[in-house]
Formats: sequence, structure tokens, C-alpha cells
Amino acid sequence: MPLYIDIALRLLCWLLLAPLLPGVINKVKAWVAGRQGPPVLQLYYDLARLWRKGVVLSTLASPGFIIAPAVAWTAVVTAALLLPLAGAGTAFSFDGDVLLLVYLLALARFCTAWGAMETGSAFEGMGAAREVSFAVLAEIGIITAILTLVVQSGSIALSSMFEPLSGPGAALLAVGLFIILLAENCRVPFDDPNTHLELTMIHEVMVLDHSGPPLAMILHGAAVKLLLFAVFLAQAVLPLSELPLLASVAALALSVLLVTVAVGLIESLTARLAFKRVPLLLTIGFLFCLFPLLLTWMGDL
Amino acid sequence: MIAAFLGASGLSLLLAMCMGRSHPRIWLGLSAVSALSGLYAALLVLLTTQAWLWHGDFALGGETPFLRLDGISALFLVLVSLIGGLGALYSHEYWSGQHHPRSAPKGRCWWSALTLSMGLVLTCANGLHFLFAWEAFALSAYFLITLDHDSKAARKAGWLYLAASHAGTMALFAFFAALAAHTGTWELGPVHGQAGLAPLFWLVLFGFGVKAGMFPLHIWLPAAHAGAPSHVSAIMSAVAIKMGVYGIVRFSGWLPMPASAGWAMLGIGCLSAILGVAFALAQNDIKRLLAYCSVENVGIILIGLGLAVLAVQHGQPVWGKAALAGTFLHIINHGIFKSLIFFGAGSVLHATGTRDMSRLGGLWKVMPWTATLFAIGAMAVSGLPPLNGFVGEWAIYQGLLRAVAQKGPAVGALPAVIVLAGAGAMALAAFAKSVGIVFLGAPRSKPAAHAVECGWFMRAPMLVLVTIMIAIGLLPGLFFRPAMGVVTAWAPQWAMTDPLLATRTLGATHTLLLCALLAGGFLILRKVRANGTRPGLTWDCGYAAPTAHMQYSSGSFAGIARGWFFWLLQPEMTIQRVRGFFPGKARVLERIPETVLEKIIGPGAQAISFAADGARKMQHGRLHLYILYVFLGVTALGLMVLLGGI
Repeated sequence: MPLYIDIALRLLCWLLLAPLLPGVINKVKAWVAGRQGPPVLQLYYDLARLWRKGVVLSTLASPGFIIAPAVAWTAVVTAALLLPLAGAGTAFSFDGDVLLLVYLLALARFCTAWGAMETGSAFEGMGAAREVSFAVLAEIGIITAILTLVVQSGSIALSSMFEPLSGPGAALLAVGLFIILLAENCRVPFDDPNTHLELTMIHEVMVLDHSGPPLAMILHGAAVKLLLFAVFLAQAVLPLSELPLLASVAALALSVLLVTVAVGLIESLTARLAFKRVPLLLTIGFLFCLFPLLLTWMGDL
Repeated sequence: MIAAFLGASGLSLLLAMCMGRSHPRIWLGLSAVSALSGLYAALLVLLTTQAWLWHGDFALGGETPFLRLDGISALFLVLVSLIGGLGALYSHEYWSGQHHPRSAPKGRCWWSALTLSMGLVLTCANGLHFLFAWEAFALSAYFLITLDHDSKAARKAGWLYLAASHAGTMALFAFFAALAAHTGTWELGPVHGQAGLAPLFWLVLFGFGVKAGMFPLHIWLPAAHAGAPSHVSAIMSAVAIKMGVYGIVRFSGWLPMPASAGWAMLGIGCLSAILGVAFALAQNDIKRLLAYCSVENVGIILIGLGLAVLAVQHGQPVWGKAALAGTFLHIINHGIFKSLIFFGAGSVLHATGTRDMSRLGGLWKVMPWTATLFAIGAMAVSGLPPLNGFVGEWAIYQGLLRAVAQKGPAVGALPAVIVLAGAGAMALAAFAKSVGIVFLGAPRSKPAAHAVECGWFMRAPMLVLVTIMIAIGLLPGLFFRPAMGVVTAWAPQWAMTDPLLATRTLGATHTLLLCALLAGGFLILRKVRANGTRPGLTWDCGYAAPTAHMQYSSGSFAGIARGWFFWLLQPEMTIQRVRGFFPGKARVLERIPETVLEKIIGPGAQAISFAADGARKMQHGRLHLYILYVFLGVTALGLMVLLGGI
């Protein structure tokens, strides 16, 4: 298969499947609460509607206010394209592409914070400050998880980085990465995507002023990012690449679904953390990534 | 060929130094000539990887001159020429004779003197002449920092710089003297064979480390870089501190290294990176923020260099080469983006008259050029793809990750990667803050609202720098090739082999990414325009009359991270609350002290001067007591001789 068709197919997969995840989470939440809940495809409808809508622009905002969500979306989607998909591997890979992935997510964060600062609103500034500050801890955790994979596989390219870890290491890493997934994707207990109490929020408060197509890009980008983290988590922990192609892709899809359901369950069963505890939980997530690193490092010495 | 260009560059700088006082235009032309010819000579050496040597046949100060331009010095000469030329152009408008009739002529002369002496530092391969050049460099930088004589802060900063700089020079005197005593010649060159020289590296690390601004020797740096005129800040931050880095790079390649040197550099690098950026994030003064960010970047450079030293000791060219090539590229990158954002900050200062971020805001409307260029620079500093900052850090990371992947002796690479990631994320926070507070939102003061965009003399240098930055981002292979040549100049045993880094794929990915970003931005703008827009007030939870002062400020933006580093930053708050029935103005002032200087070195110096005050009591002007001192002294000496004689 030529490279560009491969990339196009992957792109299609990422773009089309990502909005399912928030739908599944919401369905799980409704199901736990005994409600009917919105349809699983609700986000698709929302996106389609937002794409057609006009935009209310703050009088303070520059053109960057509109461009920033597009840049962030592009960065997240490019990062997603770098990830291998179980047995299907990567479309293209090179030494050090994992760093590109991490820094593309950083680019997305910079742009989201930029968009938030555009409006001169105290709340959005607050959200931006929280996002970039907590991201320090999250990024430390992610890089520690990556270090674990590097030590385990001896490779620094994403295509050959996901080697199965030993049992306890995998379990610890799963917990650590899951905590970071919750934080980076603004889910409970770090952030509540449903509230509108701006004082307590991180991500949602940054996009208060966005509307229309830019908001659609933000929502879609958030869904892609969630899928990206779920795919990363599943492959880091499970020995998927050892299965035959179809089975591995199916296993990947299944584990992503499991992660999504777990996010929904946590969202239904726990409360949001007190704000001061957020760095604490993130540090715990980092430690959960650090222990498997030490385990794999010591394992062979 | 190279000699001719270097000679032309030096001569035009000399001429510029003499004529700069009265002929600003001729000075500008001469600066341009010297920059271009210096750049050409440096690039020639970098591309051919042939070192240029020149022995004089006359004595100067008792020694025959010996000049050398090899890969390492050519790398730094690129920075000196580039920023020297662009800064001259920038200063033509920024510090013009019209606005600064007294200091502008002086500034031009010292500017040429600074670039000339830095060029000499890079080319002098005789220890004695190197020290002369080094001293000339330190002094001309002092006169540039204190260009704005009337400002007390600038005078104080200059004094601090001079003191710190000479503390470092003292170590360098000791180093060069000891080196000359051991080798029997002042001429510098590799001395790997003499293992006894290894401890001298600590003198190098201290002496050059002061100039490089590594933690905790950075004490002079924030005040000097913030207080100086912005074109001077740019060359200080981008080039002058690199002279310290040059010394460390140079002698870590030439000297036999102590066993723990690599670890020490890695450790100091980590410390500088994380603490430098913590200080940067907490600053409210935009130029101080940038100055502390230089401390962070010197830390990143030291991490890469330390890893390379470790790689030499363990015989591991695979990770050593990657880390070192990344370090060299990062040296250039930092020079470029740091001068860009200092130029940008200077343009803001020029237009608004303040460096205090809590008085700025909303400048994109009046200064769109500066805002865009500064933002690109800020993204590059934060190491975001597809710009040059990412490319250098990517290679350094790869060196570290390869060391980790081999599970070899380099355990220290594990914490270094984590520190680098943390510092990167905090740098992003610091620059999201500076861009967001200064350029976005609503203006927080009148001068910010009525600022005027800078002219083309200030814009053009920034545009040149941005072009180079994007070029490095899109064509990393083109720039890594000379960097690999410098690696071979540093460690001749690491001969160039097959391409080490996947620069081609990275470049292609970056190009595609940039196209996608531009296309995405263009499409969304068109889509939004097609869908129609409606202006509205910023949503502030239903509050209908938000003012500029309700925006998040620079202090509050850094609040969370400042809390984590409270033990280090120790911010000083002055609060005037609203009290009584007819309260006066309420205010909150926050100052982030330079902790190392004010809490450690300051009290230490005070203790010394207190002790010295005690000793001064002996000097009271009473003659008969002085005679008693002399008598006691002579008696004591006599007794010593007598007793010693038995």
C-alpha cells in the first residue's frame, strides 16, 4: 500500500472513531445513573451543527483566537498519526518520533492557552494557568512512561517501542498512565466536563468564549486526544503486537473501549478532587509510572 | 581565503570602533561588512571542516600570536557575526542618536569593541592573548550594560556583572597559568596525554561557568540582562554567555577529564534547567523572565555536553554524538531565538516604556508585527515543533534516550530526561504567560493602549531571525551536517559515519506539519468568515462590565508553579489593604528576589565586611600605637627567627 493511502486511511480512522469515545462515556454515566442518556453519536450531531454555526467573537480577540484551535487540532491529529495501531504498526516512523508526539501535544496545549488568554477573561486566564501548570506534572509522568518503554524495548522509535512489560510493571504502568489520561483529558476527578462552575475548572473554562467551527475543532480535538491516550495506554500495557493483525486490532479496539468505560465509571462513582489535591494525584500518577521504570531498569542488571 | 575574510571582518570592526562615535551610517555599513565576512569565514570552516591556523612572526606581550579557527570556534563565530550585525541594525533605531544623544555614540563604539573582542576570544589560541581578549570582552560588555548611565539599576547591575565576571576571570588566570606551567607553553591545544592536568577542569568549569550563567553562578545575569538596553540584552544573552559555554566546550575537548566531570556537568545542567525556568516563570519583568530562561537553556546545553563527556569516558559514540550534535545546534538555536525575543521585548519596551508585564496587555492590536514575531520566538523557546528549538532538544533527548536504551552505565540519563521534560513544560508555561499577558487580552495601562509599532530597522533583524528559525525547523539535516563536523572537531575519535539522526524524516514531517497548520488556519478563518461573526463582550460569568484589571495577571498566572518552588523563590509581598471609611489606594506589590544573591551571597559578603570593620578598629591614627605594632611585629619576627634557628 502506498504511504499516502496508508496515512489517509489512518487519518480517517482517527477522525471518524474519536467522537465515539465521549459518547460511550456519557452512555456509561447515564446507565449508572439509571437514565436514558444522550445517544452515543451525540458528539457527531453536535459537531455537525457547530460547524454550520456563526461565531460570537470577543471584542478583544485577535485572529489568533480563531487560528489557535485549528493549530491545536492539527497538532493533536498529527500526534495521533505517529502512534502505531497494534499489529498494523505505523505508517512511518523514525528514531525519536516519540519526542515529536510529546511536543506536538505541548504545541496543542500552547495554542489552547493562547486562545484562552485572547479574551482577557479572568476565568479563562485561570484555566490557562492551571492547564500549563498541571501539564508539567503530567508531562513528567508521560516521559517516565516512555522511558519505561525505551528501557524495556531498547528502541526509541514508536514503531518498535511497545514491547510487553512484566506483569507487575504493566499493572503499575496501567494505573499511572490511566491517571495521566484522566488529567490530560480533563475528566473527573481532575476536572468535570459537565459543570459550568467556571471557578473550579481547567479545560472547559479555557474554551468558554469559543463558538461555532472553532469550538467544533476544540471538541473534536479533545476526543482525538482521549483516543490517543487510550491507544497509547493499551499498547504500552498489553502485548498486542504479538497477535495476528486482525486479532490485535480487535484487541486494541476492545481495550480502548474498556478504558472508555472505566473513565465513565470513575466519572459516575467519584467526586471531583479538591483543587489543592490535583497536583498530589498527578504526582501519584508520576510515581506509578516511575516504579515500573525502576523495575524494568533493575530487572536486567 | 579565510584569513582575508577574518582580516576584513576585524579591520572593519576596528574602523567601526573608531568612526562609530560620529558617523552612525558608516558604522552601520562597517558592522554589516564585518558581520557578513565573519559569517562567511565561519561557514567556510564549518562546511569544509578544515581548521584555519595562523602563526605570527612577531611578539606581542612576549608571546607570538597564534590564531586558530576550527569547527568549534567557527560555530560560535557564526553567532557573534550574526547577532553582532543584526543587533547593530536594531540599535540604529532602538538606541538612536536622536533619543540618546549622549550614550548612543558610546554604545556604537562599545558594540564594535564587544564583537571584536568576542571574535578574538574565539580565535586566540595563545593563553596569554586569550586572557587579554577575555578581559577586553568583559570590559566592553560592562560599558554596554551601563550605557544608560542615569539608571541606578543599570549601574548596579553593571557593577555586579563586573565583580562576578572578575571572580571568574581570577579562576581563569589560575587555570591558564597552571596550564602554561605544566605544558611549558602558552599555546593552547589538546593535552590529553597529561593525566595530571585533569583537576584543572574544575577551574575551567568555575571560571567559564560564571560567564555562562550556570546555576548557582548566574547571580549577575538577571539584573544585567534586564537592565541593559535590549539590543545589548540580546547579544549578552544570545552570544556573550555562549563565550562561557565556548570555554567549557573547548577545554572539555582538550583537557583530560576528571572521572566525575561528566556527572558534575549533567547535575549542574539539570539544576540550572529546572531552577532557571522556575525563576523565569515567577518573574513579572519580561526581560528578567527572558534572562532566567537563558539560565535554563545553558542548563540544557550542559546536560548535552555532560552526556557527551560521559560518552567519551565510556566509549559510547552512539549517544555521545547525538547529544553533542544536539548541543551544538541548541547553542545556535538559543542564540537565534533568544535574541529574537529580546528584540521583541525591546520593541515592547521602546513602545510602552515599561518591562512590567502587569502594565502591558493587548499589544497585538497596536503592534501586530512584534506580537507575531515574539510569539514565534516564544514557541521556539518552548521547543515546539516545527521550529528550531525542537530540533536541537530532539537530538539531545535522543542522546539521553539512547543512553537509557542501552541500560549502560549512564544511570544519570534517567533523571536528566525527566528534568528536561519538566523544564520544557515549565518553559512552555512561562512563555504562554509572557505572550498571553503582554500581547493578548486588554491593555492594562495607558501606554500599552497607545503603543506604536516599531519601524523597519527593528523589524528587519527579527524577520531575518525568524526565517533562519523556520529554515532550521524544516531542513534540520542541512544544519546538522556542520554540527556533526563540529562534533568531530571536539572528539576526533568520533569520525563521521552514516547519518545518525533521522533528520530527513523529521524535516519532511515538519514541512508537512507546517503546511497542515497553515492550511488549517486558513481554512478555519475562511469558514468562520463564511458562517458570519458577531462581536460580543468577553463572557465573564454574566458580568457585563469587565475591566482590564480583572484579567489574570502575570503573578496570578504563575501562582501554582510558584507555590511548588516557594522554598526557592521566597517572594516578598507588600500589601496595602483597604481600611477605614475613606480608604486610600490599595495595592499589592510582589517582588521575586534573586535568592542566591540576596539570601546567600549577600549575607555572606555582609559577614565579611562586618569582620573587616572589626579589623579596621586597629587603624585609628594614633602614632604611638602604630610604633607599638611595628615593635611587636619586629619582635615576633625576631623570635621566630631565633626559635626557628635553634
